[in-house]
Amino acid sequence: MAVPQRSSGSRFTLAILLLTSVTLISLDARGYEPLANLRKASTAILQPFRNIASTVFDPIGDAWESLSEGDALEKENALLREQLSELLEYRVTTEGAVEELAALRTQLDLEDLGGQETIVAEITARSVSNFDPYIIEIGKGTQSGIRDGMAVVSVGGLIGRIEDPGLRSSRVRLITDPNVNIGVLAVGTNEVGILSGGGVNQPLKVSDGIPVSAEVEIGSIMVTSGSERSPYPGGFSVGTILEIIVDEINLEKELIVAPTGQLENLEFVTVILYQPPTSETGGNK
Amino acid sequence: MTLVRVGKATLVLFILLVLQLELFASIRFFGVMPEIMLGAAVASGWHAGPREGAVLGFVSGFLVDLYLATPLGLSALSYALISFMIGIVSELIAEDVEKIVRSVISLVGIVLGLVTFVAFGELIAEPNLYNKNFGKILVVGGLYTGLFIRPLHFLMEWVFHQNNYQNNQFAMSRAQRK
Repeated sequence: MAVPQRSSGSRFTLAILLLTSVTLISLDARGYEPLANLRKASTAILQPFRNIASTVFDPIGDAWESLSEGDALEKENALLREQLSELLEYRVTTEGAVEELAALRTQLDLEDLGGQETIVAEITARSVSNFDPYIIEIGKGTQSGIRDGMAVVSVGGLIGRIEDPGLRSSRVRLITDPNVNIGVLAVGTNEVGILSGGGVNQPLKVSDGIPVSAEVEIGSIMVTSGSERSPYPGGFSVGTILEIIVDEINLEKELIVAPTGQLENLEFVTVILYQPPTSETGGNK
Repeated sequence: MTLVRVGKATLVLFILLVLQLELFASIRFFGVMPEIMLGAAVASGWHAGPREGAVLGFVSGFLVDLYLATPLGLSALSYALISFMIGIVSELIAEDVEKIVRSVISLVGIVLGLVTFVAFGELIAEPNLYNKNFGKILVVGGLYTGLFIRPLHFLMEWVFHQNNYQNNQFAMSRAQRK
């Protein structure tokens, strides 16, 4: 087989393209503003076409979902029924915990949180990548007062945080992302731990900060700590403790936590228009 | 690349991008969506050769990058590289076995594209790319995108055809292209 002679032009073109890509990656990693603006502009330009396409394709997507996830929905339904009965058993404990939460809020001077400005946004898209399932897109952006890092809640509690808001749309990074860390507090204790995501359909984990001596119980509610360096406002429910594992070596308790916020079958979410007093995020993502 | 080709390529990539974002993102097999834009990059490498294929692969990846949370340029880098490699391979394949080999190489190209994307992502310490679902994404994503490889080749053939006669499209063979 005769191997054709390739001109050096194609290699030169490839070299230029690779160099451009690496430059783009490097600039983007440094948070180069024009690139962020380019992303926002492209999102805004394509949005009307996406809206039209969404109107046409949403029924197809819904039909596919009902076909492909029928069994999963049945299983989810059964699981929810099971969880409901468990929750009813915990009712007394939970009622106590709610009272404790109210007391804690008062104690931490967080009474005004209820008056925190919020905005309701529709979920416009799920993750558009195979590799990052922890993203949802909402149909409101900086035009509505949304800023990077704001907390997002659904029925039941915190579900994520705003990331790269555009003019009329924003991304929400879900708390199930293993790279997300949130400072949390077990209601009724003063122990602050670091909660991180466990992956899709997996419980959350608090693996740092809760000493063995801490009096945490299964069924207790974990709330955002609202500490000075946290980007999240304090007192928002994040999850319920499912399991407590004692780490004898580090003398800490590892908590397995079920998120209280609804993460599946969401149509709308609420963005808390709260920005921490300082820009320091203290490692929380 | 002539202006007509640029126009055709823009139109095709734009339509595929909207389809990827709005249709295929919600039609998933085992939680995996097809990588239509990567498929387009692979097909363009085949039909346009390494040089123009790499350019179109880069543009295709860059467009995807604009809508992903991963760093801008990561998909562009991977897609341009894969498109270039497919372009080189296509020059080496005898035309009589083209159709069979084309499909197989396209599938391999898609899988390689995904591996390259994750490998470069890991190099720059981008989280979430290499995870326990990686094997599933490679197999299901490769096969699922493979379902669309024929229409993608058809589209790219349309983009890179040479229109020699009025009202009559004439396919420029890969031998002529060289």
